[in-house]
Amino acid sequence: MELNSYQQQAFDYQRPNIEKFSKRNWFWIIFYLLWIVAGGYALYLQIAKGHGVTGMRDNVVWGLFIVNFIFFIGLSYAGAIIAGLLHLFKVPWAKPIVRIAQMMTIISVIVGPVFILLCVGRFDRLHHLFFYPRIQSPMTWDVMAVVTFFVGAVLFFYMAIIKDLAVYRDAKMKIPKWRQKIYTILALGYRGAASQKRHLLISQNLLALIMIPLSIIVASILSWIFGMTLRPGWHSTIFGPYFVIGALYSGCGVLIVAMWVYRRMYKLDKYFTDKHFVYLGYIMLALAAGYGYFTFSEYFTSWFGSEKWDSELIHKLFSSGEYGWWTLFANLFGILLPMLIVAIPATRKVNWIAAAAFVMVIAMWVKRYLIIVPTLETTLLPMQDTRTEYVKYAATWPEWVLTGAGLATFFLFFTLVSKYVTVVPVTGLEEAEPHFTHHPQQQPAANKEEVKPA
Amino acid sequence: MLGSYNFSFAQEDTTQPPATDTTAAPAEEPTAEEEEPSLISPSIDFTSVQKGDNSIDLKAGMRAKVKGQFINLYKMKVSFFQVVNEEDIPLGFKITDGNGKAVFNVKGDSLKTDAEGKLNFKVVFAGNKAMESAEELVSFKRGRLEIKPVKEDSLLTVQVKLIDIGTGEETAVKETTVGVFVKRMFLPMKVGEGETDENGEATIEIPNNLPGDANGKLTLIAKVLENETYGEMEASVEEAWGVAVSDIIKKQPRALWSSNPPLWMLLTFIILMVAVWGHYIVIVYQLFRLRKEEPHATNH
Repeated sequence: MELNSYQQQAFDYQRPNIEKFSKRNWFWIIFYLLWIVAGGYALYLQIAKGHGVTGMRDNVVWGLFIVNFIFFIGLSYAGAIIAGLLHLFKVPWAKPIVRIAQMMTIISVIVGPVFILLCVGRFDRLHHLFFYPRIQSPMTWDVMAVVTFFVGAVLFFYMAIIKDLAVYRDAKMKIPKWRQKIYTILALGYRGAASQKRHLLISQNLLALIMIPLSIIVASILSWIFGMTLRPGWHSTIFGPYFVIGALYSGCGVLIVAMWVYRRMYKLDKYFTDKHFVYLGYIMLALAAGYGYFTFSEYFTSWFGSEKWDSELIHKLFSSGEYGWWTLFANLFGILLPMLIVAIPATRKVNWIAAAAFVMVIAMWVKRYLIIVPTLETTLLPMQDTRTEYVKYAATWPEWVLTGAGLATFFLFFTLVSKYVTVVPVTGLEEAEPHFTHHPQQQPAANKEEVKPA
Repeated sequence: MLGSYNFSFAQEDTTQPPATDTTAAPAEEPTAEEEEPSLISPSIDFTSVQKGDNSIDLKAGMRAKVKGQFINLYKMKVSFFQVVNEEDIPLGFKITDGNGKAVFNVKGDSLKTDAEGKLNFKVVFAGNKAMESAEELVSFKRGRLEIKPVKEDSLLTVQVKLIDIGTGEETAVKETTVGVFVKRMFLPMKVGEGETDENGEATIEIPNNLPGDANGKLTLIAKVLENETYGEMEASVEEAWGVAVSDIIKKQPRALWSSNPPLWMLLTFIILMVAVWGHYIVIVYQLFRLRKEEPHATNH
């Protein structure tokens, strides 16, 4: 596999990152694994004692797990749309960041559905979803959509790394033999032949074309689990596009944060440049405006209609005695703050944008909580038994630990993937890139040999 | 936020009291023993039903008060005895179901009554590590309820006869209230009521428009409820007096609510799935072709 000078330089620069695990890597991996072990204990409690250990009850049947599912699966859809668009439109400046978007797609689609499984009370009936599906049910649509999307995401990621895998195969890296063997198998004999390039490009284009509408459809289907239900705050015609733009928005935020972390962790300043942050900041600003518009429309029409249930929900969301402060946080830090930081030239800086994106991602998670829980707490019929835990949802520590375990898994995968494939796609870079200037002081001393065809 | 307390986004007090399980079986749970300092005292609700086929149903329901709430005790072994001259003759045992109930059927022909023409039964729960023992008695006079459907023109009636058989001779029982019911999906529905005359007979008219099964059959049940002397009695008969109603929906329309989805929905689903998975198959095929390509002729 031959590389041009820029590709060779990018590979040499990132080569140490995939050749060995640093002490810091191991520290974080062990930290994440400990969280996952703690999550395993919480899961054991949940299985042994039943869902009574969670805060979910007959009335509020969904809690943190569904919030996490929507959050992660949204990131996955966003990653697919962003990576698909960047691939199809061949945006020159975006080539170094495509890999992170693809990583976000596949990692989120692995982590997200696990939270659905945590919600399932009867695992023994799980296969009924496939053997006895009811086509009219949004639940069936969502199960089919997630499974279909998962396969597409795996293919999408795999095809995007085949060329790089061929590079790793041909470079005599200081890695164990089993890794070398895996690279060889997964590279599928790719040597950069013209016909191979053509077939791979056709497949990638085809899949990108499918993944973009598929992501929009599956995000909409996810929203319809709520939208098709006659509950205040859910039964809304705009829920499909609202979820799509919400997923894209939070996905954009995670992309910025991941870029910032990798840039610091692997000193990738020359690949993830200030320009990337600013450009993604602009996209974030546009999406924030769109998301803010949808949010305002949603609240305004509900409030103006003064329908009993809607009014009750709006009161809950805006009352300082209930969810008012969280609503304020979600909208102030989730919508207004990122817009202001990107709009003001003085704050349009890498760290500011990354910080705004980080806070926005948390706010968007809170927003998902506000979509789900207050609605379920707004009962359509008067409840005879008004014990607090039957009406109000309060997450229990097993739910929080499992949420932490999910996050740890998310971060663990990001760490591990970055140790097996380069964060910046080597073969995706082109010579004409103006901002990939060579910085000799950042060039590692070792690994100077060129990658030659095997 | 990771403490022994719950966390909620709502600002109100959301502290949860310990959850209670209203269907738990304390005897089977080791934790019940730890949590309860003293043994649980169960109670048994014991009743009898003298049936038209001369058999008797002995019904026992077990429950106990735990943490201030009554719970039904399931999977409990209860033994049934006939008491004759202060001697307990074992009849058999049953295990209580999910509602804490057990029904033991005993043939009436082999049972001996006492001098007053009464039958005496006892139900016993032997107790276990967590629960005290319990027992209950039921006593009733032997009787028989007969039911006979009579159709005169369009008038549908049920003739019910109540006879005392405790002393070995058949004696009519008068001035006793008898109800007529029809069997429904969950519980029998009452359709009429009457009082027995000097001959122990009552004639009760029933409606002629009751929905029956697919062949129009109705199960008519005559019942004497909570009688001080005879306990509960019942007799039933089947008659094709109902309006035939088939419970099989031969062909459901295509609708959101039916098991037959609307055609457009089915087609949309199939088209979308075939389109996406078809693409996947093509793409995987293309990937396999990569291996077969010539390894030379690179463009670099």
